[in-house]
Amino acid sequence: MLQKKKNAVLVDGVILNGPIMDSKAGEKFVEEACKIIMEEVIRKADDVTEKVCEWRAPEALKQILDLEMRDTGESHQKLLQLCRDVIQYSVKTSHPRFFNQLYAGIDYSSLVARFITEALNPSVYTYEVSPVFLLVEEAVIKKMIEFIGWEEGDGIFNPGGSVSNMYAMNLARYKFCPEIKEKGLSGLPRLVLFTSEECHYSMKKAASFLGIGTENVYFIKTDERMAANMVVKCGRLRNENQCIKRDVKYSGSAPFLVCATAGTTVLGAFDPLDKIADICEKHGLWLHVDGLLKKCYSAKAAYLFQQDKFYDVSYDTGDKSIQCSRRPDAFKFWLMWKALGTTGLEERVNRALALARYLVEEIKKREGFQLILEPEYANVCFWYIPPSLRQMEDGPEFWQKLHQIAPIIKERMMKKGSMMLGYQPHQGKVNFFRQVVISPQVSREDMDFLLDEIELLAKDL
Amino acid sequence: MDERAGIGMTAESNRLEHPGLDKAAGEEFLREAFQVLLDEAVRRGTDVTEKVCDWKEPQELRELLDLELRSGGEPPERLLERCRDVIRYSVKTCHPRFFNQLFSGLDHHALAGRMITEALNTSQYTYEIAPVFVLMEEVVLAKLRELVGWSSGDGIFSPGGSISNMYAMNVARFHRFPESRRKGSWALPRLALFTSRESHYSIQKGAAFLGIGTDNVHLVGTDERGKMIPEELEKEIQRAKAEGAEPFFVCATCGTTVLGAFDPLGSIADVCQRHGLWFHVDAAWGGSALLSSKHRHLLAGIERADSVAWNPHKMLTVGLQCSAFLLRDASGLLQRCHGAGAMYLFQTDKFYDVTYDTGDKTPQCGRRVDCLKLWLLWKAAGTEGLARRVERAFAFTRYLAEEVKRRDGFQLVLEPEFINLCFWFVPPSLRGREGSPDYWPRLGKVAPAIKERMMKKGSMMVGYQPHGAKVNFFRQIVTNPAVTKDDLDFFLDEIERLGRDL
Repeated sequence: MLQKKKNAVLVDGVILNGPIMDSKAGEKFVEEACKIIMEEVIRKADDVTEKVCEWRAPEALKQILDLEMRDTGESHQKLLQLCRDVIQYSVKTSHPRFFNQLYAGIDYSSLVARFITEALNPSVYTYEVSPVFLLVEEAVIKKMIEFIGWEEGDGIFNPGGSVSNMYAMNLARYKFCPEIKEKGLSGLPRLVLFTSEECHYSMKKAASFLGIGTENVYFIKTDERMAANMVVKCGRLRNENQCIKRDVKYSGSAPFLVCATAGTTVLGAFDPLDKIADICEKHGLWLHVDGLLKKCYSAKAAYLFQQDKFYDVSYDTGDKSIQCSRRPDAFKFWLMWKALGTTGLEERVNRALALARYLVEEIKKREGFQLILEPEYANVCFWYIPPSLRQMEDGPEFWQKLHQIAPIIKERMMKKGSMMLGYQPHQGKVNFFRQVVISPQVSREDMDFLLDEIELLAKDL
Repeated sequence: MDERAGIGMTAESNRLEHPGLDKAAGEEFLREAFQVLLDEAVRRGTDVTEKVCDWKEPQELRELLDLELRSGGEPPERLLERCRDVIRYSVKTCHPRFFNQLFSGLDHHALAGRMITEALNTSQYTYEIAPVFVLMEEVVLAKLRELVGWSSGDGIFSPGGSISNMYAMNVARFHRFPESRRKGSWALPRLALFTSRESHYSIQKGAAFLGIGTDNVHLVGTDERGKMIPEELEKEIQRAKAEGAEPFFVCATCGTTVLGAFDPLGSIADVCQRHGLWFHVDAAWGGSALLSSKHRHLLAGIERADSVAWNPHKMLTVGLQCSAFLLRDASGLLQRCHGAGAMYLFQTDKFYDVTYDTGDKTPQCGRRVDCLKLWLLWKAAGTEGLARRVERAFAFTRYLAEEVKRRDGFQLVLEPEFINLCFWFVPPSLRGREGSPDYWPRLGKVAPAIKERMMKKGSMMVGYQPHGAKVNFFRQIVTNPAVTKDDLDFFLDEIERLGRDL
């Protein structure tokens, strides 16, 4: 592996002349690993005769997978086998019958972009290190802002919606009282924020992480349509509130943010944004974005954001982020958009909603299936009531028994590997299935299969 | 050209009977793109005869890339062209002459791991969704903890060292004030945290983000080698207490960003113990030195820390991002601090042991799988192979330091302890003129000028920065295992060539 030349330069016992890596062998490995990916993941992605998951209990899987990290390396063949094992026992989230989460499926252009990203391994903090990806991010954010309907705006890609929500909370807080960046929250009035009781749990995590406190998140009741209604709550708190001035003692709480949800996690509900916006405007809870992102987060590290660079440093947008190194997440979206065009993306969304509507109609037709509510979006929530429970009277015993049905069906489907579908209890309702259609691979027959398979798996319950 | 003839569309995609994707076309596109990637990003990207970067001004690059997102799609040939353009105009961070950041290089096994990760596209929150990766993450974290010196503990992979540092701050706050999670920091006394002047800026960002406030970050003095002075830490803590603040957290740095300095962990641990403060070690950069029996002494005392941040995506060439947040506590503190128990994700009536659903330990919900690339690399190289890489990086730095001392016009800023090599290049016109009043301002203009020239030429990339009272100097970092002595000789020769006439 190390070359020994006549004029070997030896430092601290290490020969420095030749490279330590065998690039040829390495490239071969990458090629062969990608062949495995093509065969085992990509080609099989739409094959409904393949399993969605190869279920093994944790202790059993630990035995099968040779996870131990040893002192010496493994052979080329062994490493390829390890890759095969990892793929075999991983859940196939691109399978047409993977409905478990709010992500699924495969898009080829996005995947290509992701592979390119990995090969280039950039970090999106400065123009000098990632010129292309910074400009791509800027273009994508601009386009997304256009869709929202703003004339101008700002933004950044983050490691997840939870972090994006944290950014919003922090920015709102900063806008409300910029001194918090330096002084912190200690001794300030109790900052409070409003969100619906259906909101994503990242609001709670964000409140605690940011030092606001989960107690100071007010969860507004949702109506039958499960959308927010905040007038009463907001008004009451406003009466208690007084001006925030550093030198003025005051009591009470300070509302500073409202978080509405467009597409709640379980039910897929959309808060009535216009009405909420009216309330926010009335109470001065509205967030305008103008250079705020940069002011709020900037730390101006001199070793990274040098001001004497030879190019326009306003392109070094990395200081808008809480992160230092950052992945170019906008690129995969950009390449997919280029491949499909806005029209193509729109068709994907419409298709997913059309499939959801089809499923809803089928559920209504079939005995034993009961819709929780008419879906507004792509989440279809329903109970499956097995034959044995259909004649039972509505009462605590019925609901308790029904609560146990979904987990059993879930266990059976996973052990069989035929599909994956999420269930949960919610707002006083016992365990029900939450079906979400996202993947462009999914077709009508997969919706039929879904219902058939549930019936099949629950026959004897 | 049919605007809709993209690989994402089929004629029947409006009908629900058929899939909404053209699989054959998609796979063909993938195959061709993979070839482009292998040839142009991997092979050419690591080839010394190729450029490190193809410099373009922002406005020009915008036009070249044709960034606009339109209503119609594009055919595969056009998309492949775009892929080529993206690769061409991106900086080749895997190039043997890319020395600009604390990461560089390309490891083929890690790359394979990253590509498998992308193809499988899953989130790391529950066992049902990511069975292999939940188990794997635990094994990898345990290995890292073992190297730190802990036989048990906890941890998680996070989206970067900045966020790992923030987790440490949050867990420390929660540990001291469990009610802070519910009540928030407004009800707490004014907290104080301590870190060195040389620490990473994520400590400031973290303090602001967490609602603690950057004013309450006490920057402790460092010696001429950039190391925290424990006596100064003691003084700062006393001062904070006298002002009525409540110290709760100390962050020592192992491998500072600019100078690569290591804080004296043993003495700092003593101070923390004395005052009952959470002791966090930001070893994002220097943590990988633990792999080498020769060099791990730099982190002596790390086992006394309460938490450690360590980024294998830096020195181990694993690929962004891979940042481990490690915790000595094994009582479930991380879960208690961050857990929300969302019933739609962490159901308690699942048919398997739900303690394997580790996703609630983190403030994130969906989370990337960052363990596979490190695990596969480790399987390929073994702990010994990784140790050799670390030692090689040290040896390279030693070689460069000696060369810098030997050559005219090169001046070390300080003797490197780690693999940050900091030096000035003094062009002939300034040599011997240290006495003149404008020496330093003029010297400060040299590095930016050389940087501009090297980037426009595309021959290499190295970072520079001012630091404290010191004017701009170069910070040379070698982590790429593909680098050879020739590259280092070239590096110094090229600086001479580019700076000769300044």
